[in-house]
Amino acid sequence: MSSPHRSPMASIEQQRTNPDVRLSVEQVSYAYAPNPSQAPLFTLEAMSFQAKPGEIVAVLGPNASGKSTVLKLISGALEPLSGRILLNGFVTHLLPTKTRAQRIALVQQESQLLFPSRAWEFVLQGRHPYSSGLRFESDDDVTIATNALAQVGATHLSNRWMDKISGGEKQRVILARALAQQPLLLLLDEPTLHLDIGAQVDLLDSLRRLAAENRYSVVIVTHELNLAAEYADQVVLMQKGKCLRVGPPASVLQRELLEQVFQAPLSVEMTASGRPRVTLFSNT
Amino acid sequence: MRPLTLPRLLLRCSILAALLFVVVVIALKLGAVQVSLYGLGRDLIHVLLGQSSAISSDYGMIVVDIRLPRILLGIVVGASLSVAGASFQALLRNPLADPYVLGVSSGAAVGAILALIVESHLDLTPELAGLITPLGAFLGAAITIAAVYLLGRRDGQIDSSTLLLGGIITASFLSAVIIFLMSTLRGSNLRGTVFWLMGDLSTPQPRSLLYFLLFGFLVAAGVIYTTASDLNLLLAGENEAMHLGVDVPRVRIVVYLAASILTGMAVSVSGAIGYVGLLVPHLMRLIFGSDHRMLLPASALGGAIVLVIADTLARTVVAPSELSVGAVTALVGAPLFIYLLRRRLA
Amino acid sequence: MQRFYSTLIRLAAVTVAVLFLLSLELSGQAVAPAPLVPTQPATREIVDEVGRTIRIPVSPSRIVSLAPSLTETVYALRLQDHLVGDTDYCDYPPEAKKKPKVGGAINPSLEEIAALHPDLVLVTKSLNRLDTVRALDNLGIPSYATDPHTVDEIISSTSKLAEVLGAPEAGKSLAAELRNHLAVLQAKLASVPPQRVLFIVWTEPLISVGKNTFIADALGKAGAISIVDSSQDWPQMSLEEVVHLQPEYLVFASSHSEAAARDFDTLANRPGWRILDAVHNRHYAVISDAVNRPAPRIVSAIEELARQLHPAVFQEVPQPMEKELPAGATKPPSASPAFSLSLQDGCKGSTESSCAR
Repeated sequence: MSSPHRSPMASIEQQRTNPDVRLSVEQVSYAYAPNPSQAPLFTLEAMSFQAKPGEIVAVLGPNASGKSTVLKLISGALEPLSGRILLNGFVTHLLPTKTRAQRIALVQQESQLLFPSRAWEFVLQGRHPYSSGLRFESDDDVTIATNALAQVGATHLSNRWMDKISGGEKQRVILARALAQQPLLLLLDEPTLHLDIGAQVDLLDSLRRLAAENRYSVVIVTHELNLAAEYADQVVLMQKGKCLRVGPPASVLQRELLEQVFQAPLSVEMTASGRPRVTLFSNT
Repeated sequence: MRPLTLPRLLLRCSILAALLFVVVVIALKLGAVQVSLYGLGRDLIHVLLGQSSAISSDYGMIVVDIRLPRILLGIVVGASLSVAGASFQALLRNPLADPYVLGVSSGAAVGAILALIVESHLDLTPELAGLITPLGAFLGAAITIAAVYLLGRRDGQIDSSTLLLGGIITASFLSAVIIFLMSTLRGSNLRGTVFWLMGDLSTPQPRSLLYFLLFGFLVAAGVIYTTASDLNLLLAGENEAMHLGVDVPRVRIVVYLAASILTGMAVSVSGAIGYVGLLVPHLMRLIFGSDHRMLLPASALGGAIVLVIADTLARTVVAPSELSVGAVTALVGAPLFIYLLRRRLA
Repeated sequence: MQRFYSTLIRLAAVTVAVLFLLSLELSGQAVAPAPLVPTQPATREIVDEVGRTIRIPVSPSRIVSLAPSLTETVYALRLQDHLVGDTDYCDYPPEAKKKPKVGGAINPSLEEIAALHPDLVLVTKSLNRLDTVRALDNLGIPSYATDPHTVDEIISSTSKLAEVLGAPEAGKSLAAELRNHLAVLQAKLASVPPQRVLFIVWTEPLISVGKNTFIADALGKAGAISIVDSSQDWPQMSLEEVVHLQPEYLVFASSHSEAAARDFDTLANRPGWRILDAVHNRHYAVISDAVNRPAPRIVSAIEELARQLHPAVFQEVPQPMEKELPAGATKPPSASPAFSLSLQDGCKGSTESSCAR
């Protein structure tokens, strides 16, 4: 595995020499100011990390640490102030919208549907990046959508109305839509937020399996320490717009660092599988 | 899983078109003067053969010269308003949106009233005089479209909620202007304006204007139709739509302009007929679902059907007098809207 | 099966398209030149009162009237046999109610009008819509528009109309009678100063008549002068302004004098109105609503008002001339003695000078 601390030059070198790298975030920074004459409200300091095909990267940190901003930058919704983000060598925010949608799929927490639709209609929307003009879905599209539902174990939900299924079921359908896009990169923004524990485990197990089977690169934004510990191949630890450390869970999830970032007493143990487990204590 | 396919789309549209045809035939038959279908058919053949003067039935003239243009106007206006309504509902992500929510009809009304005032001071030929009110209305609508667009921008792009707010404020302001202008109007102008504001299909328009309206409708509705799949995705949320490959700013401005132009054209000739643009899309959604590739043509045909029926009722229910068609759509539309609302909440 | 459906769909689409184009074509096949009536052997061109040039038969035999005032005029000219249709509101004389109806004055049914095959339609600018006139033009039905703004214009409009309708003699004699009547009235009123009046059209909000209306002119001929100096037709007045101007009389137009008396009492009890001298002294006059219509009957309404405002000038027993109506028509309510009596009822409790003896 790679070393915990990488210098900027090393990562670019590695990209050139390592064609295996799919996603490369290189010295990306960002600043948000509602009014150009005012000081920025929020800044993201230069950070870098990489993801390989089949890897799950967890962007971990407390609220307002800049995790969602990182995701938006990777998805191309925002343009970095400096640095660049490469997907298979292409700068993401310079790609045309449709092409980008064919390579990057974003899974958001909730979908606010104005008029309810059925799950299969919803998943078919994932094929939109491959349509041009006034196209009707082809048999291939239908096959891909059906497969996507099967891959997340939601085939039985196919005919159900989106506003009548549970949160966990909805999350699965949303994931199926992302899979229908046949992306290279899957981005998930706090996917476990509204799910109960069983559903959380289900989702992450599926993600791990899908990443391995279909060679997706997956970037998950979360503040759940143990989920990151258990499922991530790499963790990017963030606090207040700064990336503090990048590396495998064992080297990032260390007690002093975590206590400083999350401002809570905790202890870290290693489990038999080689992954850390974090236990939180009460303050009293 | 049965997605919409082209044959299914065409089949459903053909059914609606056939229904429209039946409604048109019935509308041709009903009216202050009774008409027999056989006589009508015979007259049509005579006209086809170029023997206009040989039309035996006196009443055939009435049908061809008075009723048919009125029905055709109803078709174009009904289709325009419904497509505009469906588009605004998607664009503003608001099921209560109708074609007038962004102030286009108020702008058209101000334009029409000003045209009326100006006309009395000018000496125009009859043909020109007949066109000045629709022209003034359309000009008023166009200016309003531009103004609301400028108001509705944020960071240089149209933003749905800002657009809605800008439109509502503009509509309010223009309504006040209308009331002020109306207080300055002289007798018969005032009455004519009130009629126009209520919505009125009874004024025969020059044939060239009808053709122009039809052409405009086909172009504008066609443009909106090219964004049909994009609109489907917009309904799920603008962010999601963008991540699924929709060029959201482009779609917004295209749909805004095209739908506003449709509304402006319809209102210019028929005043502000209410409830059609709001309810027909909802009805079509109930029957055919929210896929805009089906919803847009269905709304067009459905709107035509509904307005022809409403207009026929307006001119037959209290014969020989006429109700204004806007009154009929309101009387039927309001209870129907309440019913739909309760259904949604249930 | 698939082939069958797609063929069916294509066939349906083509049929619908063809039918639609056909119907468009039909509406275009303007029957415009073909008139709705068999062409009269003799026609002529005339110019109506708004300046339009129209071509009409020399003696129109099928007339449709789109205004109550025009219907009244047609009856006054004894041409009612040629009247084949009028509006729902044409109620004077009572026989007019029995004529075939074409709808309202503002929204008549074009179909009904066309079904009557008129060779001339009568309209008036102050009531009818321009859209209606244009629609009739499109159908090839000529329409003649009147537009009188003063009482004199009403009289000359009547004789012009008679000439257009092919009965110039009837028009001349009617006009002469009316002018004569007015002249007698003017002679009597020459010796007294005009009363300042407020003509009340509506009370909430307070609406009166503008100086350019024929009603204002009629008031002038009745020995009154409207205190409203506005160029709008139906100006809204503020009560303050009326109080400032202090009219001597309030004038109401009503077909029922008892109702008018009630209206006056209601008004008198409202705050602000009591400040008016006219209310305080119960100086109000009620005249027949004939004053609202620019028709021959307005002359008798004028006389009726004059009698109420200047009773001293009318020494003899009230006998208003009834010559403006043909024999056989009922007398207008304003001329009947019964009505004058009820006027006196309404005058109970008021000072002598305000009521007819």
